Amino acid sequence: MKIEVIRTENLTKHYGEIHAAEKVNLQIKQGEIYGFLGLNGAGKTTTIRMLLGMIRPTRGEALLYGEKADPGNTELWNRVGHLVEIPYSYPELTVRENLEIFRRLRLLKDRNVVMEVMDKLHLGRYKNMKARNLSHGNAQRLGIAKALIHHPGLLILDEPANGLDPAGIVQIRELITDLALNHGVTIFISSHILGEISRLATRIGIIHEGQIVRESDVAQLESSRLKVLHVSTLDNQKAHEILIHKGYASSHLPDSSLELPDESAINHPEMISALLASSGLPPVRIAVDEEDLEHFFFRIIQKHHRQS
Amino acid sequence: MKKIKAALWMEILKVRRTKIFPISLYFFIFIGIMMGFLMFVARHPEIANRSATLRTKTSFLPGSDWNAFYELIIQLVLTLGVVGSGVITSWVFGREFSDRTVKDLLALPVPRSTIVLSKLIILFVWNILLSLCFLAATIISGLLLQVPGWSGTALTPFLVTFMVCAILNSLLIAPVAFIASAGRGYILPISFVILILILTQLMFVGLPDFAFWFPWALPAIFSGVAGEVLPSPGYISYVIFTLTVLAGFFGTIAWWWYADHK
Repeated sequence: MKIEVIRTENLTKHYGEIHAAEKVNLQIKQGEIYGFLGLNGAGKTTTIRMLLGMIRPTRGEALLYGEKADPGNTELWNRVGHLVEIPYSYPELTVRENLEIFRRLRLLKDRNVVMEVMDKLHLGRYKNMKARNLSHGNAQRLGIAKALIHHPGLLILDEPANGLDPAGIVQIRELITDLALNHGVTIFISSHILGEISRLATRIGIIHEGQIVRESDVAQLESSRLKVLHVSTLDNQKAHEILIHKGYASSHLPDSSLELPDESAINHPEMISALLASSGLPPVRIAVDEEDLEHFFFRIIQKHHRQS
Repeated sequence: MKKIKAALWMEILKVRRTKIFPISLYFFIFIGIMMGFLMFVARHPEIANRSATLRTKTSFLPGSDWNAFYELIIQLVLTLGVVGSGVITSWVFGREFSDRTVKDLLALPVPRSTIVLSKLIILFVWNILLSLCFLAATIISGLLLQVPGWSGTALTPFLVTFMVCAILNSLLIAPVAFIASAGRGYILPISFVILILILTQLMFVGLPDFAFWFPWALPAIFSGVAGEVLPSPGYISYVIFTLTVLAGFFGTIAWWWYADHK
């Protein structure tokens, strides 16, 4: 049975009237890649900082490997690597020196780990460059290198793809997947981009206004996305009238093509195709399209708004 | 031991790589040399008379021999020490917040208290080093510019007073470290140091009796530069001083430990 690496119980943080996090309950098992999704200011970073003992909860508690996430629990922190928001390094020090500091602060005896992590993050050619002269993407890589240098069992990453170019994003995605699948590392990764997270995560939690509003496996999440049938003919107005006459909830899209949300239409597009063909309007395009992830994300948030 | 060694290594590397370290050394040496020149000018009124500013400055000197020079050096280390230690403390602590590097120091096998302790150790050593550079620069410039009345017997008590003042000033970095941490940057601690400097001066001029209760006045009272206006400090002054340093030290550790690091 896989051990529970992260567990939060009613984790709450209030700043006066502002409820930055409200009864956040998480259970994340070893080897999972947990995507923590939310808009800016939703409570992602506050939750992450509570997981790392940087902020004291108003109520509730955060447990990592069954131990309280407390600043004094120093042995625990060698099992955890973290990147919180934009990574900053000592600007007057080189990439190698910045990493050497963390090798020592992590009490690692093996001097080669600095070189290894630089190679892993493609930072070798910048090793003697001062951190202040690094590009945003390479500064981000250096932040991730600091989080990985001690081979942690749990990696907490707050928006790690920030500032990376497309190649960098792919590289980090592959690295994270490799760590989870081949090395059993548990990954807790936050983002405000569902499309990015859904490519990586095995499970996703959506936080909004400090509360978890949805939590599910990625597969389950995929099936929750709305589906519609899109149809295009040579005369969309006439096709629309035929479909309405047959009881379908057809509507026009801005490009005049038709959208049918009916379950029967989605499950049997061939029936729609046959119906239109028999009326002399065979479809030039017919496809079942899934709601895009961003739309899905906003729908979940709006639903939460309506309920609250 | 491994943990404090790792934290000290980090702080030494950061200080070595920063420009403020050599600049602070050069500045203290420069001021020391200038003090030698001031004594030289005091002995040569024909030079002082060419400039009203110089004439005013030399008129404050109690004389132009080594005893007067020693007194000037003590006065300078009292003021310069507070400013110097304040600036470097603001930098060592404040930069972690201004550069936002502090968040990487909070969830490590090395405890936060060890990080704070290593910073305070480095600051103490740095501050003593600045005082020694200033001392060496003043003595060497005084010898080269042939300040008259060199006395070996007066040197020892002067050195003892100088070093005690330097150490007392260096211990007062702890409350400044707390202000820099709680203020999360440079501005608050530097403003605090300026305020302290003004308060100390005002106290000696207007409220000499209150100076015994003011920890930043202890080095000056101990040195005797205020003359007969203020006798030697009593035990209460030392108690208040010690409590202030301890409050600064434990306050800084408590702040790093318990404050929310947003």
